[in-house]
Amino acid sequence: MGRLFVAALLLFVAGCSGGSEAVPGGGKIDALLAKAPVYAGQVTPGSAVDRIRKRGELLIGGSQDAPLLSQLDPISGELTGFDAYLGKLLAHHILGKPSAELLSATSETREPLLANGTVDVIIQTYTITPARKERVSFAGPYYQSGQSIAVRKGTSGISAPADLAGRTVIVGANTPGVKAVQDAAPTAKIVEFGSDPECLTALKQGRGEAYVQDQAILVADASKDSELQLVGEPFTEDPYGIGIRHGDAEFTAFVNDWLRELGKSGLWQEVWKQTIGTVVTGDAPAPPAIAS
Amino acid sequence: MSLVLEGFLNTVALTLLSFGGALLAGLLVAVMRIVPVPLLRAAGAVYVEVWRNVPLLAWLVLFVFGLPEAGVKMPLFWTAFTAIALYEAAFVAEALRSGVNAVASGQGEAARALGLSVRQSLRHVILPQALKNVVQPLANIAIALTMATALAGVVGVVDMTRAAQRINLEFAQPLLVFTGVGLCYLVMAAGIGFGARALERRLP
Amino acid sequence: MFDAPGPRFRRRVFWVSVVSGLVLLGLVALGLRQFAAGGQLEPVRWRPYLTWPVWRYLLGGLWSTVVAACATGVLAMAGGLLLALRPNRFTRAYAEVMRTVPVLLLVYVMLFVLPSFGVNLPLFWKLVVPLALSHAASYAVIFRAGVSAVDPGQREAGLSLGMPDGVVTRFVVLPQAVRHMTPLLVTQAVSLLKDTSLGYVVSYAELLFNGRVLANYNGLLIQTFVVVAFVYLVVNLALSRLAHRLEAARARTAR
Repeated sequence: MGRLFVAALLLFVAGCSGGSEAVPGGGKIDALLAKAPVYAGQVTPGSAVDRIRKRGELLIGGSQDAPLLSQLDPISGELTGFDAYLGKLLAHHILGKPSAELLSATSETREPLLANGTVDVIIQTYTITPARKERVSFAGPYYQSGQSIAVRKGTSGISAPADLAGRTVIVGANTPGVKAVQDAAPTAKIVEFGSDPECLTALKQGRGEAYVQDQAILVADASKDSELQLVGEPFTEDPYGIGIRHGDAEFTAFVNDWLRELGKSGLWQEVWKQTIGTVVTGDAPAPPAIAS
Repeated sequence: MSLVLEGFLNTVALTLLSFGGALLAGLLVAVMRIVPVPLLRAAGAVYVEVWRNVPLLAWLVLFVFGLPEAGVKMPLFWTAFTAIALYEAAFVAEALRSGVNAVASGQGEAARALGLSVRQSLRHVILPQALKNVVQPLANIAIALTMATALAGVVGVVDMTRAAQRINLEFAQPLLVFTGVGLCYLVMAAGIGFGARALERRLP
Repeated sequence: MFDAPGPRFRRRVFWVSVVSGLVLLGLVALGLRQFAAGGQLEPVRWRPYLTWPVWRYLLGGLWSTVVAACATGVLAMAGGLLLALRPNRFTRAYAEVMRTVPVLLLVYVMLFVLPSFGVNLPLFWKLVVPLALSHAASYAVIFRAGVSAVDPGQREAGLSLGMPDGVVTRFVVLPQAVRHMTPLLVTQAVSLLKDTSLGYVVSYAELLFNGRVLANYNGLLIQTFVVVAFVYLVVNLALSRLAHRLEAARARTAR
């Protein structure tokens, strides 16, 4: 261990002379926070808001590796993206300061994390489905997306979900994409990988002919990678919600009120412009209507 | 239900093939470590240390996602096979080596003292006994390998564990699914243990 | 058991060395060429691993790996001791089952099955508990083997001196057993440390998981995982080396 440390130290010295990389996306959040609302109403003792205020920190379950949505720069520790900024704004709304801690969750772990109170909310391209509603309460939807198909540039013969039949399709493990593909093309052969970058790498390396994933994620991937091509429009409707511990109606209503306020003040659109809007051309869409 | 079968068959095939590969590669490495050629001994030792001190999952990730970047493309199943076989080969080599060494020190010297050549003492004294000695350790490695194939599920191979997880998502019968899969592994391990004992009895 | 090398034999060793050396060199060269052709050896792709922030991130992961390994080790050893001290049908069956069921399956049970029965542990324990359950069986086997390797005469001698059974176990049998067990305990520690890489699956930020996040961020897959593998190698080799040194020191004092 001692030797390792010395080696690391030497590398550090070597690294300092090499110059450090620029931090992408830093500072954008400050401009948003300046306009963000802070909750000034009543707080029921013992409620989620009360708990978070006593702790002084909002615990969020999310991703570290979803570009444009929730991407951690491992070097600077900065978290950027649509989901990430919403998380910071929510923390700001509750606490008056953006102290939020991100616990990395996967599509396989987020429900347990929420149920046992390890995190207060899940903000992670979390599609509201009837099955999930039995285990999780959702605030929102805060974003309207859908499963889309991506292929390597130059792939022919795939223009609609039905064309996936009989082909090898890459899907994120435990995402709604698995079922979407099974429904759209029952004979497709599904290969699962644990994270979006892994799926993307697998597609580029030819481990499958198509990659089915949420449109927002695919758009973000395509923005960074010219080899990737999106095929057609989303073939499912996936509204994203903010996951909240099952049955906490008070906190759900609280987050819903906050989302409505964001939509009305135009802050939602600004967050969109700073993140997804940097790669998607055109004006910001209207935020989805919040279910009551 | 075809998913269960696919997963089960993949796990069995991956286990059998990787164990075969591990035996071959392990034998080669063990020979390298035993022959009186310093260079080969060193190379064998480096192989064993490098492979067994790095987690199999790291090897799998490196092989599945890394090798194609260097232009080495194989189907997922065969990539997993290669990584598992090469990983377990390090353990096989160690088992073979210690099996031979355990006999070689006493019995081997006795055989040499009786005037047998190196080749004769290997052929008639050391290897027959060593073979019997290594059956049990090799069976243990085979069982460990059965468990290790589950990791292939993490890098996309539809093995039994991955299949169980996918079925569980669909039917939400976790207890049944996971107990069933656990039993399958138990049966496979019991089969290996049974085969090893039968083999041990057969050997002189 | 080999002959003292004569001239003919030495000549043969020389030629085998030359040929095998050339073969090995050829293999290495072939591999390097393949990687170079893919552009994987370009200095640009390796330079980030000479900077401190990258290492700070990876070493942070290593720290989590070590913490998880220590927690698992303590729990598994306690469990193994319990299993070893009470050999009955249940503990034997437990050891047998745990020896054959993949840890990954246990992790999945922890992730997907137990929560629906109201058992829901924090992420860290979702990794540590299955590992400990599995490794406890291995430790039990090691402990039992270590104790049975001690000459039964030692125990009898202790008992005949009038020491109570517990005292004999504690002060006569166990110290000798530990000496027999040390090599196996090290192997087990290495295997345990390697198994914490399952944090990759439960998204516990250990070394391999951090490697994945880093690789996803900078797109340098091969480089990141080669560096991660190297860190594992160094740590595990250091662990083995340390154990050898401890063993040597103990052997000196025991005499």
